[in-house]
Amino acid sequence: MRLPPFSLPALARAVGALLCAIWAGTHAEAAPMGDGAVRQTLVHAVLASGPEQQRLLEQLSASGSRLARETMTAWTRDEILIYVGPSGPKVPVILEEQQDAQGKARARRLDDGSVLRDPQGIELRFAVGDLDSVDTDMRQRAAIQQALDALALSDPDPDARRSAVVKLGNSQRTHYLPLLRARLGVESDGAVRKALQAATALLELGGSDLTSRIAAVRRLGDLAAVGAVDRLKQVQAAGPPPLAAAATAALARIERHITIINFFGTLFRGLSQGSILLVVALGLAITFGLMGIINMAHGEMIAVGAYTSYVVQNIFGSGFGFHITLPFSFAGHPIAFGFSLPGLNATGGWYESYFLFAIPLSFFMAALAGIVVERTVIRFLYRRPLESLLATWGVSLIMQQAFRMIFGANNVQVNSPAWLLGHFTVHDVEFGYNRVFVIGFAVLIVIGTWLLLTRTPLGLFIRAVMQNRDMASCMGVRTERINLLTFAFGSGLGGLAGAFLSQIGNVGPSLGQNYIVDSFMTVVVGGVGSIGGTVSSAAAIGTSDQVLQQTTGSPVMGKIIVLCVIILFLQWKPGGLFSTKSRSLD
Amino acid sequence: MPNFSDTIVIRRGILRRIPARIESIAVAIAAFVLIVVLPCLNAFTPPGSGLHVSDFTINLYGKYLCYAILAISVDLVWGYTGLLSLGQCLFFALGGYMLGMHLMLMIGRLGQYHSDLPDFMVFLGYPRLPVHWVPFRHFWFAASAVIWVPGLVALAFGFLAFRSRIRGVYFSILTQALTYAASLMFFRNDFTFGGNNGFTDFKFVLGHDLRSPATQRGLYVCTSVLLLVVYLGCKWLTATKLGKVQRAVRDSENRVLFSGYATAHVKLFVFVLSAIIASLAGALYVPQVGGINPSEMTPDKSLEAVVWVAVGGRGTLIGPVLGSIGVNALKSWAARAYPDLWLIILGSLFILVVLFLPGGVVSLPGIIARWWRRRRDASP
Repeated sequence: MRLPPFSLPALARAVGALLCAIWAGTHAEAAPMGDGAVRQTLVHAVLASGPEQQRLLEQLSASGSRLARETMTAWTRDEILIYVGPSGPKVPVILEEQQDAQGKARARRLDDGSVLRDPQGIELRFAVGDLDSVDTDMRQRAAIQQALDALALSDPDPDARRSAVVKLGNSQRTHYLPLLRARLGVESDGAVRKALQAATALLELGGSDLTSRIAAVRRLGDLAAVGAVDRLKQVQAAGPPPLAAAATAALARIERHITIINFFGTLFRGLSQGSILLVVALGLAITFGLMGIINMAHGEMIAVGAYTSYVVQNIFGSGFGFHITLPFSFAGHPIAFGFSLPGLNATGGWYESYFLFAIPLSFFMAALAGIVVERTVIRFLYRRPLESLLATWGVSLIMQQAFRMIFGANNVQVNSPAWLLGHFTVHDVEFGYNRVFVIGFAVLIVIGTWLLLTRTPLGLFIRAVMQNRDMASCMGVRTERINLLTFAFGSGLGGLAGAFLSQIGNVGPSLGQNYIVDSFMTVVVGGVGSIGGTVSSAAAIGTSDQVLQQTTGSPVMGKIIVLCVIILFLQWKPGGLFSTKSRSLD
Repeated sequence: MPNFSDTIVIRRGILRRIPARIESIAVAIAAFVLIVVLPCLNAFTPPGSGLHVSDFTINLYGKYLCYAILAISVDLVWGYTGLLSLGQCLFFALGGYMLGMHLMLMIGRLGQYHSDLPDFMVFLGYPRLPVHWVPFRHFWFAASAVIWVPGLVALAFGFLAFRSRIRGVYFSILTQALTYAASLMFFRNDFTFGGNNGFTDFKFVLGHDLRSPATQRGLYVCTSVLLLVVYLGCKWLTATKLGKVQRAVRDSENRVLFSGYATAHVKLFVFVLSAIIASLAGALYVPQVGGINPSEMTPDKSLEAVVWVAVGGRGTLIGPVLGSIGVNALKSWAARAYPDLWLIILGSLFILVVLFLPGGVVSLPGIIARWWRRRRDASP
């Protein structure tokens, strides 16, 4: 489990340093150090030599300080230089990265972090070769590296700690063992503890005592350490027989574990895929299931939503504009149009929040597109459902071409905000935040739609118009307006799906085409006019699609099997999962 | 679900058509021009002269006429029986693939890899010819497969669909899904049909060089004769009692059902027949175009064929022919003149036809005549 993100870094660093201090054991003089103290220790360490340097390095490695880590990393790269001033004392400095026209850079003093100046107070500038770097021999480098590794083990961020542990575990250097064991004694984070156990076992495996090696292999198997597979395979192939046998057993256990991980990972991805399908299909269930309109342009409503996210992202960034010149001319002037929106040039968290604005906007843009389509085309076709399929296909062609002209034929880049990028891990199964977000939002949307249809006057009117248009009209319901609103709502849901899709896939002019067949099938399988049916069939189709992709090893076979199963399923239940019972003959 | 199906079709019944006598005279003239005049002008006039019809034109018209046959098959299920099938292109492409398999094997060792296997099999590392390819060495087997393979697919699918009374938009959605699944299958490399490149580089058909103008002319004549046969056959079929039941199913299936007709059998027969017609068109299309790939069997292509029929005029036999040739000629021109706007033109054309001209182009003369008569009556 992750530490909660709000844990105070200072507290964590103090705790880390304290824990390291306990590890330090015999040389337990180290205490949490401030930046000033760290700087002083660093300067002394750079200038010292022999056992004294060793002692200082150990002190530093217990400090848990980021500054110490950065400086020591620079040290291993020979970037710490020695300035010998006119007055005599050696001053360790690090050159800044920014160079001026002569290739010279300012130097920062290691002891207080200020810029190096001459006695008159003028900034000194040096080129790379001007100053000598600190002499380090092999032994010193190794010592520094070890101190660095130990520092990484006490990093306040558990993820960083874990990757440091994994790195040490794979290093095959047994001298890290005491370090890791000590850390294991104080580590509180579960994932890091597991990594530590695996790493110690891996290092013990590299030892010479057969019994402890076999025990290590067994432990790796018990831990189901996925990262140890390669090493275990080596042992299985080349190790002595009892060890190889243990390795085989451990590998089998790990293999089983991996299968389980993959299964749950697939299930999770399938669920997120299913929830996107659900939002798309929910829109269709409303326009098709409730209104009887086959909207082949529904896929383009998805694309409207996805492109809206793109435009919003660009408005938060450097702006958005397009320009189209038609191949006609009028009185000698080519017909051209276009517009541009200035960008906000937002940065950091403000920029990252663009997606929060994109979600409602994509709903409204798609709903607006839906209103236009309804007013211009669909309202003439309420009594001719088959023909609505044809006319909306024409709409879909026009919209696709419009996307191509405005945004180009290639995919556009929509960056996920940082808060959607990471993942959390439960028992080695990765859960991407973006997918969790999509699933959560889909649930909200379903609940919202259900509430709208069953708990609001508008929902009552919608259901009334769908059940009997003429009767509803006689009772004073403005059916024209209800049709318009229903269609706009269905299209808006498509737009929402597009906004989510932009976070987990590519955005291109034919984005919607990939979903249209699937989502029509979802509605048909779920039972036309039934929200509950749509929900369950979207989950079933999305998940089985992913699982079959995994098991057949090809994305296409899974789709084909699903489609065939659906066709056969409809033999058994032609009305879908939850068909509305009616005595009328259709 | 509200019930719309009964109200729609009555309007369609009163759509004005071209009078029968004018239609048969026009068809006779057109058939004579297409079957006799054009090939003769291509074969017997010198390339420079004003009367000459170039090889390119012959090839282009051959393609259009294949589309016309496909359009008639769409019209037979949609215009006459009311089943909007989005799978006609699947059958069209299947026919193409069946003949294409034979043509691939006829390349012999002239391919790039100089192997007995077709090029793509060498490329994909097949050790030997897959078993189901072997009989396709014989032309007559391939030619019969053009008929029975799509026929069986249509029979199986149609049986399942009509048995469970899937109709209207559900039938459209299911055929769309079937076509989509099939195209995905054919896009796969290990499906032994060449993956997304499909078949290409044909050399010979029945010993004739496919690249020679004479062979292409022969294929063109075959196509135009087939079109005439299909046209006349469908004209006869729709005039029989079966044709009447067919239209009755379109107009009100329940009434037909309650009158004691097995509508599922009628629909199944028409569906299989139209699949075979589409497949024949595909088989003739492939050697003239010189290749076939899975993009020919996507649901979009089927919808495009439906557009031709809608534009020309559904429920007539002359309409699909006019529509397919007209729309494709427009496409050839627009794709060259305004490549960016072609899809917008096609889309708008479709919306306008569906909204304002449900009877298609062939209903225009009737509309104009009616308008003229009303004008005359209004001002004596």
